[in-house]
Amino acid sequence: MQSSEQEEDLRLLRESARTLFDRAGGSGRSRKLRDAGGEFDPDMVRELGEAGVFGVAVPEEQGGLGMGLAAGGVIAEEVGRVIAPEPVVATIGLGLGLLRRLCPEHPKLEQLIGGEASLAVAWQERGPGGASADATCRYADGKLTGGKAWVVGAGGTQDFLVVAEADGGPVLVLAEASADGLVTTRRAQADGSSLGELSFSGTPAAELACGAAVQRALSEAVADATALAAAELVGLSQRAFEITLDYIKTREQFDKPIGSFQVIQHRAVDLNVMCEVAQAAVREVLMRMDGETDASIRARLASRAKARAVTAARKVTRDAIQLHGAVGYTDEFDIGLYLNRALVLSAWLGDDAYHRRIWFDAREEEGAAQ
Amino acid sequence: MTDWNAMSDAEFRKEVRGFLEAEYPEELRHLPHRPKFAEIEHWHRKLHTKGWVAPAWPAEYGGMGLNAAKLLIFYEEQQRWGVNRGRDMGVQMVGPLIIKFGTQKQKNYWLPRILSCEDIWCQGYSEPGAGSDLANLRTRAEIDGDDFVINGQKIWTTMAHDATHIFMLVRTDPDAPKKQQGISFVLAPMDQPGVEVRTITTLSGETEFCEVFFDNARTPRENLVGELNKGWTMAKALLSFERIFIGSPSLAQNALGQLESFARGRGAFDDPVFRDRFAQAALDVEDHAALYSRFADQLKRGETLGADVSMLKIWVTECFQRITELMIEAAGPDGGTVGPLQVGNVSVDVLASFYKARPTTIYGGSNEIQRNILSKAVLGLPD
Repeated sequence: MQSSEQEEDLRLLRESARTLFDRAGGSGRSRKLRDAGGEFDPDMVRELGEAGVFGVAVPEEQGGLGMGLAAGGVIAEEVGRVIAPEPVVATIGLGLGLLRRLCPEHPKLEQLIGGEASLAVAWQERGPGGASADATCRYADGKLTGGKAWVVGAGGTQDFLVVAEADGGPVLVLAEASADGLVTTRRAQADGSSLGELSFSGTPAAELACGAAVQRALSEAVADATALAAAELVGLSQRAFEITLDYIKTREQFDKPIGSFQVIQHRAVDLNVMCEVAQAAVREVLMRMDGETDASIRARLASRAKARAVTAARKVTRDAIQLHGAVGYTDEFDIGLYLNRALVLSAWLGDDAYHRRIWFDAREEEGAAQ
Repeated sequence: MTDWNAMSDAEFRKEVRGFLEAEYPEELRHLPHRPKFAEIEHWHRKLHTKGWVAPAWPAEYGGMGLNAAKLLIFYEEQQRWGVNRGRDMGVQMVGPLIIKFGTQKQKNYWLPRILSCEDIWCQGYSEPGAGSDLANLRTRAEIDGDDFVINGQKIWTTMAHDATHIFMLVRTDPDAPKKQQGISFVLAPMDQPGVEVRTITTLSGETEFCEVFFDNARTPRENLVGELNKGWTMAKALLSFERIFIGSPSLAQNALGQLESFARGRGAFDDPVFRDRFAQAALDVEDHAALYSRFADQLKRGETLGADVSMLKIWVTECFQRITELMIEAAGPDGGTVGPLQVGNVSVDVLASFYKARPTTIYGGSNEIQRNILSKAVLGLPD
């Protein structure tokens, strides 16, 4: 059970984040940005930074608000509700997650918190078959070679934070987006955003950290981002459900609102239950991650959250289309934007089947260790 | 008199756990069937001596006077240790009703007899034509001098063949404009010529359910609880706490534990498909527990639970069923075998678990009724 003081802080944070996104135009803003072909709005990033959004989970002594992942989850849920395209979760979880753990003195940290800089994190790699593979991207003599994939926010970023292999083990390096020998390919996503595929050929980059600490920080940051992505899906599912509920209350057929038919009512209840279970589970996970230092337990918690959130979001957004009927299949209704965003967020950092597997394996290992 | 509510939650839990682990008879743990009173009488005596028969009743009536938070802990510990509920209809249902709506004379007479189990109660609500549509009940009670004369039939009366008394909803005004009106709550003795009990054998071969036939059975008019024709509202007023209890994670958690040891013994985890389905079930249970705590926290803060608590029951009972279905699956060719199956040093009665899970989606308001409630009261969907 949270302390009532903490609960009150999170409630206030939720209110102000919701006001901020609503004032900016809610989900309508996301549609406009998508139609304009843009990735996200740099002005919005600055505004979010000024409001303290990015720094919620960064400790106070490093210039953040020190409110923990639970607060990050509050922000992520609000981002999900309006399907905002800004890489908020990637920034809080990955970018800041790596910098604050590995090089808290670096000026990028403060800039990123303030929304004055953008920084995309490149850590995954694509193998020959197209699936993810072990890291082979090399860093030697101040230069990068190889490639990285599935980079969120690659389109609008000034710099990349790259995890690469060096002779002494893994390194974290900083490369400018405009650096020589860097080719960025954008892969269009269902929601209008893109994921970057980076190719380095002798690209100059500055080393920020090296050794086992990099691997540790990366695992932790990925766990954080995974749990926050789950929270984003929770907000998204909740809002998609609300939109659908409004729709079935007003849409009339056979001279009655379709929401008066029992088959529709029971489906709506199942979606509602799905949303509530997901919200309770993901919020509990974030609270527990804040109080947990064991990295493998934190990772298992994050997997539990993402597995639940993806299952719920998939069910909710797909049933939402069905309950809207034909108009749900058009681009004119917002509900489709939620489906598309859910597809992208579900695939990013692993879907439910993937995380159930990870969760189960980790549970087995813990069991075997005892 | 101990003020249990003044203890910290942890202290109280320790106290309850200590007592149960020390005193609860080993042979009664995780009893697969509902016992007759004679089978658990020795345990009831201990509880009675301890003053723990009625955890929710106010201390002045011989209860423990627990607040919602402590009550939840009490039940959690009981379930954790596999403690049988005993013949608790008196304590859970009729006692609270008498405490809330009964006369002083009724309280003085009935409450101590409930605590001592001198009277053993069964609940006469459902009828052949009044299941989910309970207000449709037809059993009549007509006033004749100082008595009610009762005619009709009750069904699904749990353990009626081992009860001395029945508390029932009866129709006292067949001409009331709405069927929810004209229903009264009366108490009646079972041991009389006009009452006949027939047991119903269930799918699992148990005989815990009964039909009870009333043919000019009589009960004194003073056995009316509350006002005449106000029985429906009274009975509904009692259900609030019941609704979180019925949605508690323990049944599913226990079944999951059984499934895991059984499946491990059988090598079912070698199959990746089974692993994923197990992981789904395990996460369904864990995530349900998170939602359950949210409602429990509400109770602990002294708030009243809303209709949304019904979602706990829907989720956990359906999850419980899936878990027991996985047990059958893991049993392979033994999936239809009656009795405990031995794997390593554990024995699991797969069929008993499967059967136990079936009625959970039917009793206490079927899951379809729960969905109706949620769609109207929580989602505000129109008629």
